[in-house]
Amino acid sequence: MYQSKSHADNATIFCRDENRVDWHSKALWNLREKRDRAAASVPEWEQLRQLGSEIKLHTLSHLGDYLCQFEQKCIENGIQVHWATDASEHNQIALDILSTHSVKKLVKSKSMLTEECHLNPFLEKHGIEVIDTDLGERIIQLNHQPPSHIVVPAIHMKKEEVGELFHQKLNTPKGESDPTRLTRAARKHLRDQFLSADAAMTGVNMAIADLGAVVVCTNEGNADMGVNLPKLQIHSMGIDKIVPDVDSAMVLLRMLARNAIGQPITTYSSFYRGSKVNGEMHIIIVDNGRTDIMQDKILAESLKCIRCGGCLNTCPVYRRSGGFSYNYTIPGPIGIAVGAQHDDSNTIPWACTLCGSCSYVCPTKVPLDKIIAHHRRLKAQQGKLPFGKKYYMPAVGKLMSSPTLLNCAMASARLALNVIPHRLIKPLSGAWGQYRELPVSPTSSFDTWYKQHRASNKGQNNVS
Amino acid sequence: MSHNTASKHAILAALGQSSINQLNQKPDLSSLKSTSILPSELINRFEKGLTSVTGELIYPDNGNSIDLLKDNVAKLIHQGMQVISLVDGIKGNQLMTTHPHELKHIDYAIMPARFAVAENGAIWVDSEQLNGLNAKTHRVLPFICENLVLVLNKDNIVATMHDAPAKMRLHVGDFGTFIAGPSKTADIEQALVVGAHGAFSLKVYLI
Repeated sequence: MYQSKSHADNATIFCRDENRVDWHSKALWNLREKRDRAAASVPEWEQLRQLGSEIKLHTLSHLGDYLCQFEQKCIENGIQVHWATDASEHNQIALDILSTHSVKKLVKSKSMLTEECHLNPFLEKHGIEVIDTDLGERIIQLNHQPPSHIVVPAIHMKKEEVGELFHQKLNTPKGESDPTRLTRAARKHLRDQFLSADAAMTGVNMAIADLGAVVVCTNEGNADMGVNLPKLQIHSMGIDKIVPDVDSAMVLLRMLARNAIGQPITTYSSFYRGSKVNGEMHIIIVDNGRTDIMQDKILAESLKCIRCGGCLNTCPVYRRSGGFSYNYTIPGPIGIAVGAQHDDSNTIPWACTLCGSCSYVCPTKVPLDKIIAHHRRLKAQQGKLPFGKKYYMPAVGKLMSSPTLLNCAMASARLALNVIPHRLIKPLSGAWGQYRELPVSPTSSFDTWYKQHRASNKGQNNVS
Repeated sequence: MSHNTASKHAILAALGQSSINQLNQKPDLSSLKSTSILPSELINRFEKGLTSVTGELIYPDNGNSIDLLKDNVAKLIHQGMQVISLVDGIKGNQLMTTHPHELKHIDYAIMPARFAVAENGAIWVDSEQLNGLNAKTHRVLPFICENLVLVLNKDNIVATMHDAPAKMRLHVGDFGTFIAGPSKTADIEQALVVGAHGAFSLKVYLI
């Protein structure tokens, strides 16, 4: 369906079904409203955001020390720690651990990092069956799709579509679309998987440096069901998941679920500081481009992110273009922030109105709009502006920096709008005019109005 | 393993090129801890928090929760339910199994909790509670059981998550978890369904 990598092209495909766009946008706005209520219920919310930001900045600026402390504490806890500079090394480490234990079936709980590394296809190629166990993740896995959202991965699917998928794959009755009955069917199906798995793998919400423990949060209990049945447990984490101590973790934990879906906390927030009796616990610490991001002072702040998904839910562009239009594993504002350097279509930094709503809801104050604008600058500096923009933007720049040129151009535009029929000019307005009427032309320019207004007000201002 | 050490050094070396100011101080979080709040107020807040995550608080007016729990367990066993208990004085009809997988038939697991958090209804359970009555409990018990019953001392409620670290126990190599209500999902069209992979219900007996 999505042939092009360009955000605008893919958004156009998504927007063909207007009812679906409205439905999608509303579902996400619903999450945003729940988030607002949850945030308002905590009087010190803004203080928590500030502290969350400071904790993450402090940790990032001492990351090497904290990573070493974390590793040392893990070793004391009997946890085996592995380091991976990139995705392929991460995947190879995971495969080696699984092969040592002759693992045939792996149950996974949600991890955007393993999505980023494309772990599933790699393991499947080596004969390991991988079962995603979060309900939303299982739905899209059965549907052969990547996640379209980082917290609610199947947000793009209607219940009837899930029903049809389950009918084909899990043998539920034809036409069944009741969420409760579909969830029950998935529970039964996945329980069999949990009970027959040889190993479990999870992502990490937070890694506590001074304990050598990882925190894993789920609502469904799939991470804990997975991890606590087989002997082998593996946790993959980006280097940015470190927090100094439990006190810091609590600040983030208070905001994570509230900001994601409006819940006061996830149902399960589990602290693993070692394996079960006779078990084995591994942690893979992954860079995969994060240290590159940290070399740019503005981009570095994107690593404060705790992956709550709040910025996706509020984004007017994400809500109306869907998660598959971003040419990166992570969609929405945070996807642009951490993914634009990998975007070979060079379009996703423009999938943004720079309205700043994302930055205002972010629990760790990641300056997303600032980062996205910075990405545009970087693309321009690298000579990677998309076709069109490359040629007209320098001209627009020249025009707008010269008052004479700008005034002349605006005067001609006003004249044209007044005398030429709009249907003749509209094709010239390009994509902008596709869903908009041309503006009614004002009688004079702002410049003229301002000069008169300021001149007439000067006297009054002096009196007061 | 040498390969692995090389990657560690590569990552640490790359972090040396970081542009983030080394002077970012760790913020002082001590002011977030709660000052004294009346125990009755904490119980009220906890009930509100627990209800908001679809858990249920049981705290009879006569305060005798343990007798009530005993009666209810007897009824469950009479109904043919498989009940396992780690709480002193409450007897189930199932013993801890050799393998964690064998716990899949448990209908009700009754466990002590160390403490609870009022603001969100989260209840902390760690290895010490799991291993109560020397049962050497498998960590999966609170997740695999169909229904979970936690027994909580009413003096062990704190106001917010910031007060939790002082009460948490997480020894070397250990495991602990905050449980806030029964398992749930809203992954199909945002419709809340209680009972995803873990327990269908959570009842908390306050003693």
